[in-house]
Amino acid sequence: MGHGMDARRQDDLYLKASAEYGPALDRLARAYEADPSLRLDLLQDIHFALWRSFSGFAEQCSLRTWVYRVAHNVGISGRKRRRRLQLINLEDMDQLPADGTPEEDVHSTQTLARLHALIRALKSPDGQVMLLYLEDMDAGAIGEITGLSARAVATRIHRIKALLARNFRQGECS
Amino acid sequence: MTDIKTIWKNQPVEENSMITLSDIRVRAARFQSRIRLRNGALYAYSLANVALTAWLISRGVSPRYTAPGLLLVAAHLFVIWQLWWRTSARALPGDLMARAALDYHRQELERQRGAMAGAWLWYILPFMPGLIWELWLRATLHPANVPPVADRALVLFLILSALFFWMSVWLAFSWAAARLEVRIERLNVLKAE
Repeated sequence: MGHGMDARRQDDLYLKASAEYGPALDRLARAYEADPSLRLDLLQDIHFALWRSFSGFAEQCSLRTWVYRVAHNVGISGRKRRRRLQLINLEDMDQLPADGTPEEDVHSTQTLARLHALIRALKSPDGQVMLLYLEDMDAGAIGEITGLSARAVATRIHRIKALLARNFRQGECS
Repeated sequence: MTDIKTIWKNQPVEENSMITLSDIRVRAARFQSRIRLRNGALYAYSLANVALTAWLISRGVSPRYTAPGLLLVAAHLFVIWQLWWRTSARALPGDLMARAALDYHRQELERQRGAMAGAWLWYILPFMPGLIWELWLRATLHPANVPPVADRALVLFLILSALFFWMSVWLAFSWAAARLEVRIERLNVLKAE
């Protein structure tokens, strides 16, 4: 009986999280994986891990933090398994020349493609911080998800803003 | 003018990315069967060795080697039990995934490093008594039909082969543990920032 109720609660929590954060999880999978079929695979892995994780959810943190933690952990693990790209730090990214002269009429599709490429090129946890920054999270929430200190998150956000300013039109980076 | 966060949040969503509970259950079943298959391969390898040794003992091929053979069987059974304990009884809880990214990955790496660094104790040491006993018996056998020089060379070859094999196993585990240690240290530096 208890087990049945637990399973029901697990399903309910998963359905709630999936409805609320489904689009965010989709964006996260896009940022981690360029190949469409691998991306769908990753997304399913994330959903499965999320469902499994809810058997141990006792409101230790907010639902949002929980969902993002699971999703990022699956994303990072999947990236390690799938390929061995040369990843770089935010500091090194600062040294790279900007990706051509920023054009005046950059289409949002191109902007997204460049953002995805930037995130995929970044080492963990820099890529995660950038992703969460784009999801409009504050430094405290990013720290809770990544495990970085508030100061470390703030430093990274500062670098990310500079990086985005160099790579995208001024108006896009506000 | 659209800011970058708005562009990010308004990006199109995969059309076929809807995942239902039944999809999840199919994946859960696949996940369990993958684990069973992996463990099954490990058990099959060890059980094949046990069966071969037991068959040799029961046929009385070399009565001299019965006792060390039994020790090797015991070692295989011990390793099977260790594999079972490490992969089933200590299976990771699903909610481990919900730890902060740095903590989760450090814990994962520490778990792997623990298994690698301790491999000499649970994977190598159990085989040593039976192996050393067998080698000692062979070294003191002195078959009448083999010239002493050839016999000594053969014994030396057997000892060196065993040393080479088990040292390679130990080095492979130690190297893996050292690499994990470097990665853990990197995470510690990030955590301390």
